[in-house]
Amino acid sequence: MKNKGLGEFEELVLLAVCILEDTAYGVTVKKEVEKHSGRSILLGAVHITLYRLQDKGFLKSEMGGNSEKRGDRRKRLFKITETGMQQLQAAQDVRQKMWQFIPQLKPGV
Amino acid sequence: MREQNSLPPKLPDRVLNWFLKDDLLEEISGDLYEYYMELGDIPEWKKKLFYCYHLINFLRPFALKKLEGRQKLNNYGMFKNYFKVGFRNILKYKMFSFINVFGLAVAMSVCMLIILMLADQKSYDQFHENKERVYRILGTPYVGSVPYATVPVPLSDAIKDRYPIIEKSTSLRKGVGGDAIYKNQIADLKGYFADDSFFEVLSFPLISGNKNSALSLPNSVVISKDKANQLFKDENPVGRHIQFEDRGLRVLDIDGDADSSVDWGTFTITGIVDNDAIKSHLKFDILMSISTLNRLQEDSLIVDNSQKWDAYQSAFSYILLKDEVSRSELKDALKNLSERQYSDLEDLSEYSFSSQKLTDITPGIIVANEDSFRLPELPYFVLSMFASIIMIMACLNYVNLSVAKSLSRMKEIGVRKVNGATRKNLMFQFLLESILTALLALVISTFILFFLKEAFMNLWVNKYLNFDLNVTVSVYLVFTAFALLVGMIAGIYPALFISRRKPVNALKSQIEEKKGKWGIRKVLSVSQFVFSLLFIVTSIVIYNQFKFFTEFEYGFDSENIVNVHLHGNDHELISTEFSSVPGVKNISACEYIPATGVTNLISLVDKRNEDEVIEMLHQKVSETFIDNLGLSLVAGKGLTTSASDDELTIINESAVNKLGFENPEEAIGSIWKTRENSSLKIVGVVRDFRATLLISGDEIQPMLMTSDPENFNFLNVKVSGENPMRVVSELEERWKKLDSRHRFKYEFYQNELDNTNLVVFDVVSVIGYISFLSILIACLGLLGMAIYTTERKTKEVGIRKVLGAAEMNIVLILSKSFMKLLLISVLIAAPLSFVVNKLWLDNFPNRVDFGFGTVVIGSLLMLGLGLLTIGSQTIRAARQNPVESLKDE
Repeated sequence: MKNKGLGEFEELVLLAVCILEDTAYGVTVKKEVEKHSGRSILLGAVHITLYRLQDKGFLKSEMGGNSEKRGDRRKRLFKITETGMQQLQAAQDVRQKMWQFIPQLKPGV
Repeated sequence: MREQNSLPPKLPDRVLNWFLKDDLLEEISGDLYEYYMELGDIPEWKKKLFYCYHLINFLRPFALKKLEGRQKLNNYGMFKNYFKVGFRNILKYKMFSFINVFGLAVAMSVCMLIILMLADQKSYDQFHENKERVYRILGTPYVGSVPYATVPVPLSDAIKDRYPIIEKSTSLRKGVGGDAIYKNQIADLKGYFADDSFFEVLSFPLISGNKNSALSLPNSVVISKDKANQLFKDENPVGRHIQFEDRGLRVLDIDGDADSSVDWGTFTITGIVDNDAIKSHLKFDILMSISTLNRLQEDSLIVDNSQKWDAYQSAFSYILLKDEVSRSELKDALKNLSERQYSDLEDLSEYSFSSQKLTDITPGIIVANEDSFRLPELPYFVLSMFASIIMIMACLNYVNLSVAKSLSRMKEIGVRKVNGATRKNLMFQFLLESILTALLALVISTFILFFLKEAFMNLWVNKYLNFDLNVTVSVYLVFTAFALLVGMIAGIYPALFISRRKPVNALKSQIEEKKGKWGIRKVLSVSQFVFSLLFIVTSIVIYNQFKFFTEFEYGFDSENIVNVHLHGNDHELISTEFSSVPGVKNISACEYIPATGVTNLISLVDKRNEDEVIEMLHQKVSETFIDNLGLSLVAGKGLTTSASDDELTIINESAVNKLGFENPEEAIGSIWKTRENSSLKIVGVVRDFRATLLISGDEIQPMLMTSDPENFNFLNVKVSGENPMRVVSELEERWKKLDSRHRFKYEFYQNELDNTNLVVFDVVSVIGYISFLSILIACLGLLGMAIYTTERKTKEVGIRKVLGAAEMNIVLILSKSFMKLLLISVLIAAPLSFVVNKLWLDNFPNRVDFGFGTVVIGSLLMLGLGLLTIGSQTIRAARQNPVESLKDE
């Protein structure tokens, strides 16, 4: 994949995975992102992002934890990788740096 | 809490299984499942909706099954290969493909036209809100009669009051038709009296006005949008007053034969109906509130039918059944009602009611007294039958040619089989090819349809049928489905046949040609030509009949007579004015134009048996009528206006016999009483002439003519032969001076007579076109077979020529089997077509002579075309230089 950077939605998903620690999978990530961002998200959109992040090497995953609530199907649990963490940190740093250069905090002027 | 434990719907899950990658399936379906379970306390259907919405959103490239893997790749690849091979085959054998595609296209276009017609008819009366529960009541006056669309006026109320299964009912009483006048505008309106439940039962779109109250008050009218525009232009019509003068116009009238106008007073417009936006079997310009009737009946402007159960021709009745009421309950109620009302009525003791679902009216069974022109079911059956025959013939061509052609594809089939293709695979391949051909044909037939539609709409009968043959998207879908079906039907036999081949034989190119196979192909070919000849002969016969009708001797002189509609004006006044126009030779007046379809009857009391009546045609004519139409008096004198107590009358020769006289002279001076008890004195007898339509009967009916200027509706103006149009325009000028309100309406008598036969010409056109198509398709098939045979025999022809055979001999050898085929067809079809045509013609009035001559002409025509087709190929083959045909390999 050419662009190894993070998209906005990707960043949200990545953050959600971090927050959820060991219980990050499709439904929980969706709920987490919805909780914080306040928008309603399609399950399919979460999945495609999770798989993409995994392809980029920011996430790793394993199957596990079937429950009756899921009709006895296992879930794919996602975890953040070292590179993922770095990428998140880098994105955060870039922002932080840029914030410092804003002369005055006067929104809307 | 409702249904907390409900599970996600099964069907969407299966869809997911179908499209989702296998390795993602478990986790994603699990996530969806969990999502569904956590949706919480919302209605089930909403949950399902959300579930499906999220599920469908997995239709993204990342999640889709890839067409990869051994099995899938092969399937896809083979599919691609079938398409490729199919297309290559179509392109490689251009002539064969053309024959197949063109034949199918031509046949399909006819079928498509019928589909269009049916689609149009099916779209009638679909706009009614309660169309599933609305029925029209039909009345059958006696056992064995065609049901009447009309019923007595009191039915509508009686049925609603007595039977609780009926929610609402409405009645449309016939009898509104005349001129509406507003300021200086005038419009002719035809329609019905309607009650205030009209808009509750039927959902005609009211664009302005209140549908609950529009028809409740007396003297209120609802008119159609286009007539409102005509009367009011830009003004808002609702609430305005119009003057209405009834002229006795009826909804079905085409050219508005009318009585003199009667003033019905002032009416208020309470609503506008947009009749252009909908398609309904009911057509009207005006609905007058039924409460107006009281006033009109009191003033004796209209007959009071409101309680007459025996006046079964006066109203239409529509009922709305309550929910969940079955048709049989309605049937019982109607049976009960007719027994109650009619068992005591002597004349109508057999009268019975039946019901017709609103959506079954168009297209529907033949019903008498209908107020709109439409084709009953029967012509559709006949047309569909013709179209199917043509379609089957085209499919047979395909079968014939592909089976023949399959010999040259033996190697391909062999290789496929050796490589593991199953019979199913091969069948699929060949079916795909036939479907491909059919789809190509679909494209071409859409073009043909365009022209066919134009030609069809130009048929005379379509002036009255109002077909709307626009092709909509849904109709295209039907067409495509139809093409797929045709492809499958045409392809199934070749597919079965070809896939049966054994691979060894196939590879060795060994032709397993059993006698039987050729037999089938010959039978198919022969049957095509049999049908063709049948159609050809029939169309020639009908054409002859048409010509016979147009040249028919009516017994009166219609040349240079212009019939002018009086529109209720005084005939004396108009004829005096007209007679001063140069070029006018003679003028007479009459009640209706003879032999154009309108007749009146009169009943005389039989002198020999007072209980019996003698029915005769009755025509009211002026003194000059007999002279003007060139009728000759056999005995007695013409009509004079001599005033005595007895009305004077002239009868025709048939009437002389009917009244029991030996010869015309005897009849002169005798006096007859009518059933209404007025007496008629016969003063003259005219030679028989034809006053009814040619198709209505063989015999000239007895006729009686009286003079009654009150009832004259037409002037017969005899004009000079040179430049009659100038005289007509002068007449029009004069007309405008006397009557500024009505249009000058005239028709040349000869045209009018010709027009009565146009329906026969329509039949000629349709059958003619069908026979043209059938012979075309049969010849195309023959052409294909001839090409194929000559191609296969190129080497044989070459060798024969080298050994010294003459061209003529070779042509004969090549054509022999085909000629045999044609001859067999003629031998079967000629007697058959003779018998079939004799059969219908024998029941036809005023028929043309039909003998073997017509059959011979048809046979020769078909033989000629067939030989031409074969000859084109065989002669070419025979002429070929043997060097060319023998040098390759």
